[in-house]
Amino acid sequence: MNDVMSEVVQMLTEVVGEDFLLDVEVGPETSFSDDLALESIEFVALVDRLRAHYGDRVDFPAFIAGLDLDQIMNLTVGDVVEHITAREEAHA
Amino acid sequence: MPDVTARGLRFHVQECEGDGPVVVFLHGLVIDNLSSFYYTLAAPVAAAGAHSVLYDMRGHGRSERPATGYSVQDSVADLFAVLDALGHDRVHLVANSFGGVIALNAALLRPDRVAGLALIEAHGPAERSFWHEDLLNTLAKSALLLEYERTADQLLDSGQRRLGRIAATADALLNGTTLMDDLAAAEPVRPAVLAALDRPVLAIYGQHSDVADAGRLLLRHVPNCTLHTLTGHAHTVLQEGTAEILEVLLPWLAHHAAAPALAGAAR
Repeated sequence: MNDVMSEVVQMLTEVVGEDFLLDVEVGPETSFSDDLALESIEFVALVDRLRAHYGDRVDFPAFIAGLDLDQIMNLTVGDVVEHITAREEAHA
Repeated sequence: MPDVTARGLRFHVQECEGDGPVVVFLHGLVIDNLSSFYYTLAAPVAAAGAHSVLYDMRGHGRSERPATGYSVQDSVADLFAVLDALGHDRVHLVANSFGGVIALNAALLRPDRVAGLALIEAHGPAERSFWHEDLLNTLAKSALLLEYERTADQLLDSGQRRLGRIAATADALLNGTTLMDDLAAAEPVRPAVLAALDRPVLAIYGQHSDVADAGRLLLRHVPNCTLHTLTGHAHTVLQEGTAEILEVLLPWLAHHAAAPALAGAAR
């Protein structure tokens, strides 16, 4: 697991609670909706943590604003990690 | 800033930065929370130049859930206390469904702080006392089912985490707080009171909405009211008619909040 991946999983754990995540092996293909069954308000909380951790250069509000609700809920953990990595490289 | 403390309670708040007028979003009851606005109107309104503020009302979403304090008066006091904590004085309110009752009462109580109201499928305006009988009956039935069929546990046991958690929140609110009693005591906003509302109102309702009468009362009695009806839609226009709402809402905000940039941003 790369660094960004393990950081995202850590933040997910803070949002949904450790008990639940023990039952699910989180990988890049894991989707927030089908696999993790995240409530939409929990995804808001996750974005909040991502924003606080990676700062404005990752620009999650803009990333989210470009998608409709179905697209957002169909995102995978890998999609989010990829977005962070790409934005971080662009600023490196 | 995800949390603020207001009236001794922790409220979950989200803000989308903008330099323009402050627009505050008020969500609906029980299974609703700030996410319904977060994924629909808040980002486009902020992208158009306004400063969007969203919060979970007490007991809802990720805000604290005390056992009491769910009256309309408490909800209005919560709104202004959250705005005080954030340092926002004069705002525009955008409300969905039962959030409309809070928005209308807030504007009537503090017209100095509420510059205008956009009411989407809003409850509240009515001519008689038992105005929200259908809503109360629906909630009472849900409360019984949740308690006696242990809906939340059953959903969670069968692996339906999202629905199970939504049911658990509804159960906690309907069976574990005074919300139902407080709602039953809520008075409607009557025509004579609507006539005294001297703030611009944009009313948006679905053509087949079960609360369309409230929209007609707003149009008939509020001196400065525009009514927009979404053809083919029922109560769930916020999710299903988002683009059309923005086409109406952004120019309306631009005009009434004196922020012309908003007008060009409708998509």
